[in-house]
Amino acid sequence: MTDTTLTTAMPAAALRQRLPPEALRRRQFFALGWTYLVIIGVATVMLGTFLVAFVASLKVDPLERPFRLAFDQVNPLAWVAAADLGRQGAGDPWWGGFAPGGRIVFSATYTAAPGTEIVPPDASVPRRRPGSGVAAALTKYYAIDYALLTETGSADGEMSVTDPATGASEIWPTRTFTYEIAFDPAKAEGGPWIERTPLDLSAPTGQQLVASTLNPTRFERRGRVASWDNITPGALGLVFNNYRRVITETADLQTGNSLFAGWMWNSLLIAVGRVAMTLVVASLAGYALARLKFHGAALIFGLVLFSMTIPAQVTFISNYLIFRDLGLLNTPWAVITVLVVGSHVLLMKQFFETFPKEIEEAAMVDGASRLGILTRIVLPNAMPAVIVNAIMAFQAAWNDFFWPLVLITSPPSALTVQVGLLSLRRSYGGAQGDWGLVLAGAFVSIIPVLVLFILFQRYIVSNQVSEGVK
Amino acid sequence: MHKTKILLAGLSLLALTSAASAVDVRISGWGGAEVALVNGLITDVLAEDLKAADINVVYEPVDGDFSQFITNALSAGTAPDLFYTDIFWSRAAFGTGKVEPTTADTSPFAPNLIDAFTYDGKVMALPKDFNTLALQYNKDIFDDAGVAYPTDDETWATLQDKLVAIHAKLPDVNGLCVVPDYARFAAFALGSGWEPFNAEGKTVLDGNFKRAFAWYTGLVPAGAAVAAADVGEGWTGGCFTKELTAVAVEGAWIIGGIRDGAPNLNWGTARIPKDPESGQAGNLIFTVGWTVNADSAVKDAAQKVAELLTSEKAQQWVLEQGLALPSRSALVDNPWLQGDTPEQTVNRVVFAGLSDGNVEPFFFGDLGGAWMEPINTALNSVLTGEADVDTALAAAQAKFDGMAAQKQ
Repeated sequence: MTDTTLTTAMPAAALRQRLPPEALRRRQFFALGWTYLVIIGVATVMLGTFLVAFVASLKVDPLERPFRLAFDQVNPLAWVAAADLGRQGAGDPWWGGFAPGGRIVFSATYTAAPGTEIVPPDASVPRRRPGSGVAAALTKYYAIDYALLTETGSADGEMSVTDPATGASEIWPTRTFTYEIAFDPAKAEGGPWIERTPLDLSAPTGQQLVASTLNPTRFERRGRVASWDNITPGALGLVFNNYRRVITETADLQTGNSLFAGWMWNSLLIAVGRVAMTLVVASLAGYALARLKFHGAALIFGLVLFSMTIPAQVTFISNYLIFRDLGLLNTPWAVITVLVVGSHVLLMKQFFETFPKEIEEAAMVDGASRLGILTRIVLPNAMPAVIVNAIMAFQAAWNDFFWPLVLITSPPSALTVQVGLLSLRRSYGGAQGDWGLVLAGAFVSIIPVLVLFILFQRYIVSNQVSEGVK
Repeated sequence: MHKTKILLAGLSLLALTSAASAVDVRISGWGGAEVALVNGLITDVLAEDLKAADINVVYEPVDGDFSQFITNALSAGTAPDLFYTDIFWSRAAFGTGKVEPTTADTSPFAPNLIDAFTYDGKVMALPKDFNTLALQYNKDIFDDAGVAYPTDDETWATLQDKLVAIHAKLPDVNGLCVVPDYARFAAFALGSGWEPFNAEGKTVLDGNFKRAFAWYTGLVPAGAAVAAADVGEGWTGGCFTKELTAVAVEGAWIIGGIRDGAPNLNWGTARIPKDPESGQAGNLIFTVGWTVNADSAVKDAAQKVAELLTSEKAQQWVLEQGLALPSRSALVDNPWLQGDTPEQTVNRVVFAGLSDGNVEPFFFGDLGGAWMEPINTALNSVLTGEADVDTALAAAQAKFDGMAAQKQ
């Protein structure tokens, strides 16, 4: 009994001294090992899902089953092919396209069991009408109206094919067909730049496509048709096609301009506005509660704490009605002023309480006012707390979905990016269609928060006051 | 400086006069395939008529939950002048008193659609189009499996046999993706002769309903279907466009999904199969109308835009885009509908769905979508193996009884 009391009451340093150095080292080693494992475990889970989502956002079909980690968008050989095709199509290896003067050479190799004749596939540049969304409304030019497709030749070859059942190898004949897709010279003058050049190659069922300049986007009709959404993507156009679509397919129907940049700007404006208001309110209130002695201070502090326990949904309708009566609906001001600063006030108050009173008293002796002390002495030394508050407020405002959704409904250009992302859903009969677009949009929307963290992370760990006192 | 002032004054005067000459009417509908349709109508098909009427239409499509958007916008006073109303949640909008009855002549429209939008004796929306369910099938899959295509006279049993045969021959393909959703299951539930509301206005899940329910949920263990969620899809059309299944049960909206996901698909459409016992097929009517906002400052212009958007000329064009069927009775004999392309076929069959044996609008009175919830939960619990048919239906019936009791 005495022993236990003694042990628990003993300072940790004394306990450590009693352990032999080797045992201590072993203990430290294991503690370190466990911590390390836990951190790696958490990071794997967090980062793993993040990475998988990012990889999926590059795919044509993020829902594909089984989930592949090797596909054209992450294959450098495909990037080179796509860049080359982009250059041939529109002289742009990065974003590709099909423009006057474009002349694309495209080849496809087919194989069939020995004895089966390999016939030339039926090749065509189809008219791919987008089925939904703004793309369906705004697509004006189709490659089919400008493309001249000719088969320029074919070459015979052979390849070794392994029977998956028996494991035996066999030599199968192959035939490589080469096509030229040229921008019709008759329509070249003033001809448009076309983003996509689709291609279909249909072959009989016994005949398989084994290689092509660029892998097909998908096989359709149970392998009968190899289908390319775009044979002139350019390297970036291939990898970041969904990202490009986020920009092009959120266009304003009247002007044709992309709304996405506007949404990012609105979000930034609202987030900065909220950060500014949060900082002003939180530092003033925090300082008053930490330093000023006045009647009801405890009650006010209690109320601030209490406000943190009220869910936003409880005050939702009354807040909404107030904004409506003030005529602030559909303005960024409504979202900027929906503030919940309880936790920020608390954080600032705690920080101000640790600030050496002597420095403030010295300033007071020198004739500084309370506000002067706060703005000239305390706040400049409270940068870590201010920045942590700013980052938290920025992140909360940037990610806020609920308030922008209910307070800003129209016009579409006034939305924030989080609400704007909703319009990337392509629905057919109420079902979600286009996950690639949603994922890509979500990734673009996290960039500002990421940048903010990378820029300011050192402020979160460093503390100038503690450094100054050393 | 002086010159700038004059210039500015001149410009603002110009802006004022141009604003005075054309009335701005804000209209709103949902996104997806509708964007191209409405945009095409206002910028192309109806451009001249709108100009003649001195109306400038500002179109704001809303992707996401439209009913929530419109409820929010109506209560905020920021709602568009003219907007979509789905009969599904129409009562929630009509009941607010923020909706203006239509002033147009409703006689050229299909009477059952007009009935669906009648509230308190007044027609509150001009139906713009409608859809029903049909059975789409992938011809290549049926060919590869050596199974005959579904016909218009299929019964549940014969369809199931075909789907089982396909899965047996092509193990990587399933027959149908089943979804725990009344909006698809109703095609079979109604075919059994069951009615959503009996003479007393109550929902009774009777023997007919149970027969349909057991057949639909039994498709998975029978090897004729797979649950859509199990192959990572949310709708029967998603499985269909990826060639994971041989058939789908959707309306003409599937065309948008096919254009985006499988532009070369070789497909056809047949009527919803019949219940072998009742000998009837069932179907749902989905319809959407244009509704004028009662608080709009330009109500007359909005009524005019609604008339133009549902005019014969507009509907003819929409029909030829292949995405929705016209609500005007005169257009039913349109020659376009007699064509043989897959898109024309699906529209023709969807149109024929109106004359299936037991057809109900996709509408559940004041209860709205909440009415479907017990059935969807029951479907889900059986499809996921959490409950058997009897337990799931008993739970659903208890919920319906609770709803009826609450109403009283």
